[in-house]
Amino acid sequence: MKNPYEVLGLKEGASVEEIKKAYRELVKKYHPDRYRDNPLSDLAEEKLREINEAYDYLMKNMNNNQQKQQQQQQYQYQRQHQGQSTGSGYYGGYSANSDYVYQIKMLIQNGNFIQAQRMLDAMPVRDATWNYLQGLLFLKRGWYERANAHLRRAVEMDPSNMEYRDALSRVNTQYNAYRYNPNFYGAGYRQGPDMCQICGTLWCADSICECLGGDLISCC
Amino acid sequence: MFGYITPDKPELKIWEFEVFRGYYCGVCRAMAKKAGHRGRFVLTYDCAFLALLMDSLEDGPVSGKQRRCLFHPLKKRYIVDSNSAVEYASDINILLSYYNLKDKWQDERNLLGPAGMAVLKKGYGKVKKKYPELAAEIERELSRLHELERRKCDSIDEASEPFARMMQTVFQQARASERIGKVLGWIGYNLGKWIYILDAYDDIEDNIKNGSYNPLVVQYRYESSEGVNSFRERIKEKAEFILIYSLSELEKAFSLLDIRKNKSILDNIIYRGLLVRTRNVLQMGADCHEKSV
Repeated sequence: MKNPYEVLGLKEGASVEEIKKAYRELVKKYHPDRYRDNPLSDLAEEKLREINEAYDYLMKNMNNNQQKQQQQQQYQYQRQHQGQSTGSGYYGGYSANSDYVYQIKMLIQNGNFIQAQRMLDAMPVRDATWNYLQGLLFLKRGWYERANAHLRRAVEMDPSNMEYRDALSRVNTQYNAYRYNPNFYGAGYRQGPDMCQICGTLWCADSICECLGGDLISCC
Repeated sequence: MFGYITPDKPELKIWEFEVFRGYYCGVCRAMAKKAGHRGRFVLTYDCAFLALLMDSLEDGPVSGKQRRCLFHPLKKRYIVDSNSAVEYASDINILLSYYNLKDKWQDERNLLGPAGMAVLKKGYGKVKKKYPELAAEIERELSRLHELERRKCDSIDEASEPFARMMQTVFQQARASERIGKVLGWIGYNLGKWIYILDAYDDIEDNIKNGSYNPLVVQYRYESSEGVNSFRERIKEKAEFILIYSLSELEKAFSLLDIRKNKSILDNIIYRGLLVRTRNVLQMGADCHEKSV
């Protein structure tokens, strides 16, 4: 087993609070939901397992009362997660759930794109289900423009289907999460007020002061 | 490779900038050894990034020295010592530049092409011998790309596929381990996609002027009545979606890597540098290629 502190990105001897915080962050980062339409989902699973083991190990060796509660929370993550890996949690489809559709879903999940595409091409109707599956396939292949178009089409054709909506909203969530990531957004030199804003604000403040008989900047 | 991959410089610490530049110079030195001093002119940032990323997966500190070089003789600067990552990146740089120059000649009859090829010929021969399969794979993808360009492919996804696949191969081959190779491959694939589409957006104006192929112009049906700028504005959001979604996939793969050093520099590139670059190209179009450090 790797050094559990290292796995959680902590220094040796970190406090319980620090461990919990790091653990929560990492679970968010490697959560199966975040890697659902990504070809590397199995590796994310491995990573999460490692994190769980490290956390478990550290918590076992910490004598504190909250431990039990924490572990329960953690097993929930694991459970969810195991459900996902067997495939039962993934596409518990409520759509046209014929064997044929299920087969295509499985092929996409296992990265067998050629076979999946062949079966899609053979489908007689281009309905919402077809668009949804085609969208998923493109998403996993890295053809994002078409993936997005097909998923939208699926939602348009069958607006009441939550499965299709979920897929589309996952795409948008991921897009926004990266685009407005905290490292980039709201941090750094770009977000501060520029010279114009500063001068304008000062001038306004000065004018208001003068209206009320005071003075903020004496030279103007 | 076009040199789009750079850190967001104002946000770097000074030592971070020097280390990044150290990798850039390290790749440059390695190229000079293989292709001679004249072979250095094709150095790109993208390969500096490749060296930085690969080396950051290795244990141990960064090793480098303050050295003088031909191009900056007045002041010593920090240059990373040659190691397997730097060597690989310089090989790739030579290989891809050679093909790029070949394209220039074939597509535009640009005289830079044969001149550059003559300079790189020796180095290219060596590299090709070293990685025959990789070179063959790259050539296959490039000929697919030519085929798509020739028949004026009207899907940006399809048109960007060969270049993305080529980059996938380049990144995947960098490490022997299959597990890491897969992650690196996905980083490469999405970087390739991003570079290709960003470059296409960057070139809209030129391509429209001289009537050469551009996947965005074909897919989104440019009408000569609407003017270049309003066309760029019209498809901006669509291009932005593909670009940023590719980067978000890249970020996921990057999260799975076990980074041993230079984490802050890599984070700057992945979480800021690429986004800043995307925004600059989308907002201003051309003329935002940075000069070398």
